[in-house]
Amino acid sequence: MSKSYQAIVVGAGPAGSSAALTMARAGLDVALVERGSFPGEKNMFGGVLHRMPSLEKIFPDFWERAPLERHIVKKGVTFMTGESCFSTTIEAGNYDRPPYNGYTIFRPSFDRWLADEAVAAGATLITRATVDDVVRKDGRISGVSIVGRSGQLHAPVVVAADGVLSFTAQKAGLRKATFDPAQMAVGVKALIDMPREMIDDRFGLVRDQGFANEFVGCTEGVRGGGFLYTNYDSLSVGLVFHLASLRTSGKTPYDLLNAFLEQPQMAKMVCGGRLQEYSAHLIPEGGYDMIPELVGDGILVTGDAAAFCNATGLNLEGINLASHSGVVAGEAVIAAHRAGDFSRYGLSSYKKMLEESFVIKDLKLFRNAPHMLHNNRIYQEYPEMMCSFMENIYKIEGAPKQSVTRQFLKSAKEKVGLGKLLADGFSAWRSL
Amino acid sequence: MNIDEIFDNTSFTIDREAHIVLDYDVCTGCDNRGCVNSCPARCYSWSEDEQKMTFVHDGCLECGTCYVVCHRNAFTRWRYPRGGFGVAYRMT
Repeated sequence: MSKSYQAIVVGAGPAGSSAALTMARAGLDVALVERGSFPGEKNMFGGVLHRMPSLEKIFPDFWERAPLERHIVKKGVTFMTGESCFSTTIEAGNYDRPPYNGYTIFRPSFDRWLADEAVAAGATLITRATVDDVVRKDGRISGVSIVGRSGQLHAPVVVAADGVLSFTAQKAGLRKATFDPAQMAVGVKALIDMPREMIDDRFGLVRDQGFANEFVGCTEGVRGGGFLYTNYDSLSVGLVFHLASLRTSGKTPYDLLNAFLEQPQMAKMVCGGRLQEYSAHLIPEGGYDMIPELVGDGILVTGDAAAFCNATGLNLEGINLASHSGVVAGEAVIAAHRAGDFSRYGLSSYKKMLEESFVIKDLKLFRNAPHMLHNNRIYQEYPEMMCSFMENIYKIEGAPKQSVTRQFLKSAKEKVGLGKLLADGFSAWRSL
Repeated sequence: MNIDEIFDNTSFTIDREAHIVLDYDVCTGCDNRGCVNSCPARCYSWSEDEQKMTFVHDGCLECGTCYVVCHRNAFTRWRYPRGGFGVAYRMT
């Protein structure tokens, strides 16, 4: 059976549900199509939900409404070797006062909640529906077809929010047929159950405070990094690898994850926990240069499908960009309905609004970060240099001391090489 | 942590119909086979003796790593499972 709507959104993640919510609130008849048996069932992420400007505008009480875990008061970076680690953390009073800078969340709860808000606003949620193609009429996109179902869904406009591999955008001819492994990363994660009091004591937290830590040097030379985030009564611990590097390394994600969890300092942090769930997902890490065509006749591309992910090495953002792009896509569709023009020209306000927002501006600003992060030394030599330098600084063994500068140069020379250190420093400064 | 245990903790509703289908001849002629080590769910295994690739879709986490890593496009089908099937995350 075929059905008609005023708009179809493919994928009920943060981008799709934000788009459906925006359109439904404006009175449009929207179908929100999700392949999972509920929204969020297929989704995982590393980490932290940052400020959500567009959703905060829709829901002034967003932070009370959304299902959140702990707010992050402490952020850290750890340089790790097989048996040492050197960490820096920032814990700020401002992070412990509203508006909080970030929260840990569970995607199966958060995504489900956001989709429910779209439904409450009037959107039609269709779950267990895997979209496998777009429908065309007179050269423009006019709907989608679903695996195993004979009918099609029709609408004058489709919002592709179907995630990192976006087959919807591909079928519409908006993204390239193949991906470059150099622009993709895979994240694997272990969800580890741990009593709340144990987490509070171990990481120095009280009330609903949370801790977020990133790790470098924990991937046996594969380009990538690690993370540890505290939920109320569990830890999210995982690794992210650049696919171009993982593919040729011969190493497996689960063995590396196991080694990470068994690294002596790490083992102390997860000790006493119980493994609950293992998950994996791709991350579009190519930045600005990876963005596909965003607008076609009768179609818009949002969220991960549009590679809206900012991985600079310091911050990892995606959901905030996804949600904002979804809201803006919704607004563009509303304008197109008013004008009765669903061509790429009628929908072009989407691109314009994005270019004026933090989504495209930030991706442009950090355009070179993905290239800088392709430097293999960051993932082994530098963590080793940092650890050996710090280890020597605190070593007091009765021999005459060397100046700090000398010690630094010694570690740098041994582990990296001075010329490379200068070149890398320059490249990092340029891209950040 | 025990690695074999890791895979037992994730829930699936397995579809009999595979959502990923390989042309194994392409795999046999491949010079890279990055899928074997890169797949986070160990769905791919290569037998050096038999010169044969084996793929099992059962434990697939639907991440897309193989889709990106395979430079020979060995897939005669690569799509997500039918609605309601496949991996079901509860609290990730």
